[in-house]
Amino acid sequence: MPQSDIIVVERLVKRYGARVAVRGVSFTVKAGEIVGLLGPNGSGKSTILRILTGYLRSSSGSVHIGGVDVADQAARNYVGYVPEDAPLYDWMRAGEFLQFMAAIKGVPARATGAAVASVCAQLDLERVVGLPVGKLSRGYRQRVAIAQALLNNPPILVFDEPTNALDAYQVIGIRELIRSLAGQRTVLVASHVLTEIEKIASRIMILRDGNLLTADATSEGSRTPSFRMRIAGPRQAVLAGLRKVTGVVTADVQGVAPTELADSMDTYLVGTESRPRIAEDIAQSVVANGFALAELVEQKPDLERIFLDLTRRATEAQVA
Amino acid sequence: MRAFVALLKKEEMALFTSPIAYVVLAAFLVIMGYTFTLTLFLTHVPTLVHLFIQIYVLFLLTVPIITMRLIAEERRLRTLEILLTSPLSEVSVVLAKFLASLSLIVVMLLLSYTYALTLAVLGAPDWGPIYSGYIGLFLLGAALVAIGLMTSSMVSNQVIAALLSLSLFLLLWIIDYLGWLLPDPFNAFFVNLSLLVHFRPFATGSLFLSDAGYFLSVTLLGLFVSVRALAWR
Repeated sequence: MPQSDIIVVERLVKRYGARVAVRGVSFTVKAGEIVGLLGPNGSGKSTILRILTGYLRSSSGSVHIGGVDVADQAARNYVGYVPEDAPLYDWMRAGEFLQFMAAIKGVPARATGAAVASVCAQLDLERVVGLPVGKLSRGYRQRVAIAQALLNNPPILVFDEPTNALDAYQVIGIRELIRSLAGQRTVLVASHVLTEIEKIASRIMILRDGNLLTADATSEGSRTPSFRMRIAGPRQAVLAGLRKVTGVVTADVQGVAPTELADSMDTYLVGTESRPRIAEDIAQSVVANGFALAELVEQKPDLERIFLDLTRRATEAQVA
Repeated sequence: MRAFVALLKKEEMALFTSPIAYVVLAAFLVIMGYTFTLTLFLTHVPTLVHLFIQIYVLFLLTVPIITMRLIAEERRLRTLEILLTSPLSEVSVVLAKFLASLSLIVVMLLLSYTYALTLAVLGAPDWGPIYSGYIGLFLLGAALVAIGLMTSSMVSNQVIAALLSLSLFLLLWIIDYLGWLLPDPFNAFFVNLSLLVHFRPFATGSLFLSDAGYFLSVTLLGLFVSVRALAWR
């Protein structure tokens, strides 16, 4: 295991009776990464997080956190876990709850006051420490849940659907908070909300039906680059020329059907395979065919497109 | 150790800040006071044997209410996720819940001791059966709490946990009747499973190691199954 891989998951399987929730998932997370786990509801995200945090046992495969098997209780010291919907003791005051959590997480008695004060300051909880948890707004509940995860200063933070059921302001606040917490820590965030994951994570893994479709959706995007081009010329001829270039997978006119109008300056979207100098080859082909090339811009990988592509391919593979 | 003390304190707080503890205590004291007064006026005998049998029955009915929420509620509210992803063992979680619930049983027994003191003021009771009765009630309480904890660890619905406990208690109360129908040696097996068969000697002032061993075995079995149920996830 390379030293920097703080989470190593190998051939992880989780069965609930006859139902298989996680099917042989393997991935690694390097220290300091912010990794997003994206997938529809029921894709196995929460199950993987619960195994990682030691709440669930795996049916087979292995999970190591900081080199320690998660079956070993010591691994729990490495992870701060914020479960979905912040399940907390509503009858406790926020401050009492944090002191209780500090004690069961092994924070020494003399350091508890400072640890609680520190997380309260970090999460802006000073105003609510005296209130019962059950009386707090969803946003503050989530902050208390995050605060308890930080008490023993773990190197890994795990969030399950951290912005679930929050209003727009709370979502922005929690998102900023997670980003600010990342710093020296490794962060793993699971969500079914594509735009949320995109805004938080530096690497995105996509899950579907318990299978890991990709351990890095961003590189998946860079493997299938796309270009936006403005070209003057007869559409059918331009498209035929583009499609002849080696490595071009798709070529379409943006916004109109290719047969709709006659010659004009149009915007074309070209999807290609990943290979060196593909952009130059396309540009040369357009010019060689006698068309005027006004613009050629590489498109940023679009997570939505990658997600749809990967899930479509997975469905096709299943059908096949 | 600090983690265990914090866990125990949290369980005590959860129990004694809920109305359940006070409703159970109030019902217990009202019924006990009624029985004690009635028995004393009817028999004029300074004994607590009737009271102990009455407490035995009340424990069978109230312990399911005390224990039903212990793990089932944590499972339903998903606070178990917070607890079990902390560096705590399942054994400490189960023991803390067991001891906290047992403390309510101890409070009930301590409050009922006022009846023994009343007897001492009014007459000259035989203290032997009184102390053996309290030892028996403590052991019975521990066994019932362990069984209640066990059923609570198996389900996520408090009412079902309570009904399961109550059913088990009632079955263990009357299971010796089945023994009387069976030939030797099967009869002894079922007779010896009975809670009442093992409690009655304590209530009447006879201390047998086998009876104490029965209650301790049931307690340990209940705790063991609770730990396994919590670890099986």
